[in-house]
Amino acid sequence: MSPSVDNLQRCGLKVFFAPGAEPDVRAFIPIFHRWIQTSAVDGLLIDVADYTHLTDGPAVLLAGHEGNYAIDRTEGRPGLYYYRKQPAAGALVDRLALIGRTLLAAAVRLESDAASEGCRFRGNEVQFVANDRLLAPPAPATVAALRPDLTAFLRTLFRDDAEDVPEPTEMRDRIRLSLRSRRGASLSELLERL
Amino acid sequence: MTWKQQLADSMPAELAAEIETFESQIALRSQGKIDEKVFAETRLRRGVYGQRYDNGRRNDGTGTRPLAYPADRMTKGPETVWDAPGMVRIKIPFGGLNPDQMDTLADLAEEYSDEVCHITTRQDVQLHFVHIDDTPDLMRRLAAVGITTREACGNTVRNVTACPLAGVCRDETFDVTPHAHACMRFLLGHPDSQDFGRKFKVAFSGCGEHACGLVSMHDLGLVAATRTVDGQLRRGFVTYVGGGLGAVPHQAKLLDEFLPEEELLPLAQAIARVFARLGEKKNRARARIKFLVAQLGLDEFKRLVLEERAKLADDPRWRAHLAAAATYGEQPLKPAAALNGGAVPAGCADWMRTNVYRQRQAGYAVATVTLPLGDLSARQMRELAAIARRYVGDTVRTTVEQNIVLRWVSEADLPDLYRDLAAAGLGESGAGTLSDVTACPGTDTCKLGIASSRGLAAELRARSSTPDGRPHDAVAGLRIKTSGCFNSCGQHHVADLGFYGVSRTVDGYTVPHFQVVLGGQWTANAGAYGLAIGAVPSKRIPEAVQRITEKFVAERQPDETFQAFTRRVGKRALKEMLTDLMQVPSHAERPEFYSDWGDPREFTLGDMGVGECAGEVVSLTEFDLAAAEAQVFEAQLELEDGRPEEADRLAYDGMLLAARGLIKTELVDISDDPDRIVAEFRARFFDTKLFFDKYAGGKFAMYLFRRHEAAPRQQTPERARQLVEEAQLFLEASHACQARLAAGETGAAAQQVPAR
Ligand code: SF4
Repeated sequence: MSPSVDNLQRCGLKVFFAPGAEPDVRAFIPIFHRWIQTSAVDGLLIDVADYTHLTDGPAVLLAGHEGNYAIDRTEGRPGLYYYRKQPAAGALVDRLALIGRTLLAAAVRLESDAASEGCRFRGNEVQFVANDRLLAPPAPATVAALRPDLTAFLRTLFRDDAEDVPEPTEMRDRIRLSLRSRRGASLSELLERL
Repeated sequence: MTWKQQLADSMPAELAAEIETFESQIALRSQGKIDEKVFAETRLRRGVYGQRYDNGRRNDGTGTRPLAYPADRMTKGPETVWDAPGMVRIKIPFGGLNPDQMDTLADLAEEYSDEVCHITTRQDVQLHFVHIDDTPDLMRRLAAVGITTREACGNTVRNVTACPLAGVCRDETFDVTPHAHACMRFLLGHPDSQDFGRKFKVAFSGCGEHACGLVSMHDLGLVAATRTVDGQLRRGFVTYVGGGLGAVPHQAKLLDEFLPEEELLPLAQAIARVFARLGEKKNRARARIKFLVAQLGLDEFKRLVLEERAKLADDPRWRAHLAAAATYGEQPLKPAAALNGGAVPAGCADWMRTNVYRQRQAGYAVATVTLPLGDLSARQMRELAAIARRYVGDTVRTTVEQNIVLRWVSEADLPDLYRDLAAAGLGESGAGTLSDVTACPGTDTCKLGIASSRGLAAELRARSSTPDGRPHDAVAGLRIKTSGCFNSCGQHHVADLGFYGVSRTVDGYTVPHFQVVLGGQWTANAGAYGLAIGAVPSKRIPEAVQRITEKFVAERQPDETFQAFTRRVGKRALKEMLTDLMQVPSHAERPEFYSDWGDPREFTLGDMGVGECAGEVVSLTEFDLAAAEAQVFEAQLELEDGRPEEADRLAYDGMLLAARGLIKTELVDISDDPDRIVAEFRARFFDTKLFFDKYAGGKFAMYLFRRHEAAPRQQTPERARQLVEEAQLFLEASHACQARLAAGETGAAAQQVPAR
């Protein structure tokens, strides 16, 4: 493990909506406001930003202190994305688990709060995003250095159903890797495993 | 490895040293070794702003709640919590960007911000939700690609803007780019521009007829001009000074009909010295150079500037850019080639109609990338950088209409370019049309925002983009601009249809409204400002837009412009047309009127904070005084238009607003009931003599009391004129009182009155 990748703090995870189960993104604005009122999800929640006019990237952002939640449409693949902004304790694999728990708890909550809108997530893929070009520059060596921790996280999450950590398809901007399982599981099950 | 180490060889030494100093100042402030006010001004001068809710409180729709930041005792300015995210403004001189810079902006948006890049109405880029501890590295990464945030805010020379078509425009006199660049470099950090009472904005335009430079609304505006002297064609500038928007818009005044190009920098320096020496410093509401010009008179101002100019020691930098400027030009990436008439992708023809401008260089075009509300995702910014590399190279610019242009597109490439832009979600047509609405940040992130300018803009965009909402050809070219408050960052004064956020109290509820401003002139470098018609509830603005545009389509005369139409029809008739829309239904009947666009929370003004928009902190009092000023200005217009009743009402409202502003120094929750305002004002400022002028005593307060006690039964122009003048004096006295309070001269007396 390269020492710099081990220090990676700015990173995130994303789960994707199930096919045909993506509500109108505007529906998330009042939900996120309610989450702030009730402290429904982890972290200090600050405000909601409406970017529904964008066709790519965040559509609705729930800005927090430790990290941001976003209904995200990057690459035309809508889902819920959570990324850390503040450092957390522990080794990288522990931090990945923390981010995973935060994301999955929010996703489970969203499935229930937006049930009437038909919101459902797929439980067979979690995308990892390394959001630090100093500690995790987009390069094959970085992927190699990340692989052991990502594999450990992937196995905890998907158990023996996990596929291997893939090679990145492109690394022009930052490292994004899809961690997949063959059959998948419900988000609640995945959450329990973390 | 740190960014500092990694980029040590790529940063200009001077910028690297400055960032190092800023990082030390952050460390010192975090240890409490620098005063918070001093630190606030320091970070503002580095482009590091506060953002809404950074006082550690937010109304979540059910009440105001604390935001429990970890370092909640540490501040980065008065009422500004250390850990609260803020905004970073990145200066882009004349809007010029290259693909490497765009890549860096994308990286920074992803790593430190919210993955969105925002283009401002002054060609800057803004990143939101940035933590102060991340700003030094953010600045280093910008410095490594030749960008600085220095003096992007604070009482400094702000970004120097210029027409995005400079150098390729068919109508320009000459390319102002090298002069704008030289002016920016010369004034950046110049000792003579460090002691202003307020910000100073400079703009360049290639011609007087078109809008691109918006010269008339700038502190210093320069329009390219040539003159033949001794048989030689000389370059220079028609020079304007003292323009500005804000609560009371001022058209810039002509300072010099022809300023030779070699005199540009020394004259700018002389103006800076006069402004620094004589400009108002204490009362920031009066501190822009427009007030100094008005106070001295243009002739005296000019005399002082020329006197200062004569005293300046020669500086070789004044002329260093001139030789290169004479031959300056951009190198196209691809050879010129005409469109070959072949098939174009679906949507391309529409896009070419609104988003493509044929350059004066045959075979080349400028393509505008329409950005909704000035936003693009970090990924889109990176895609756009790749597209720029493919088609145009380094010739990208941001625009004051919050778009990005790609210049020097070989015309034959237009269909492919469109295809690539569309694939990146950037192929929207309609640039410069009714759907291309400009908006300031408003309540989304600005601490001074009253209503949601972006929410409204998004709604208006969405409606005019539907097949049913497609505007009639006669109105398709009109411009809509929205501001969250009267400070005009959205430039509503120069739009055909402008809107700025205000609020009204109905049955004890605060209701978001927008003041409707019609008939501003975008052309002729923002040649005329619009007429304020009245305040309409936010949720009825789309209906108001529809009604106004339909009336124009139905009743315009042949070849009549929208400006001419609004002036012919007149304010009264326009207002009457909207009167029913100005009514607010009860909360029980239509609760949606009581929340703003894109924000389901019940509307409140409780989140408004101490603003940093214009440099130092802006108090609620100053805010109300500025609003009062706008009212009195409106009263003056009504008087000139022969409507004394309206003038009387507005002048009275203006005095009430100013009084309310002063009361807020002691009692933030003062209602807008006139009886209450007058009673509180009397108890707190008249009986205590806090409001008293050294010479006139309580005379100015009596103007308010008299008018409050007895509205004239029969209005005459003379009476109304007198009241408008009295209101102006009341306002001046309020400013003076506020300045005394701020200086602490009467602080002890102020505390003797208990809060009620
Ligand atoms: S000060 Fe007012 S006009 Fe300027 S950005 Fe803030 S809300 Fe908009």
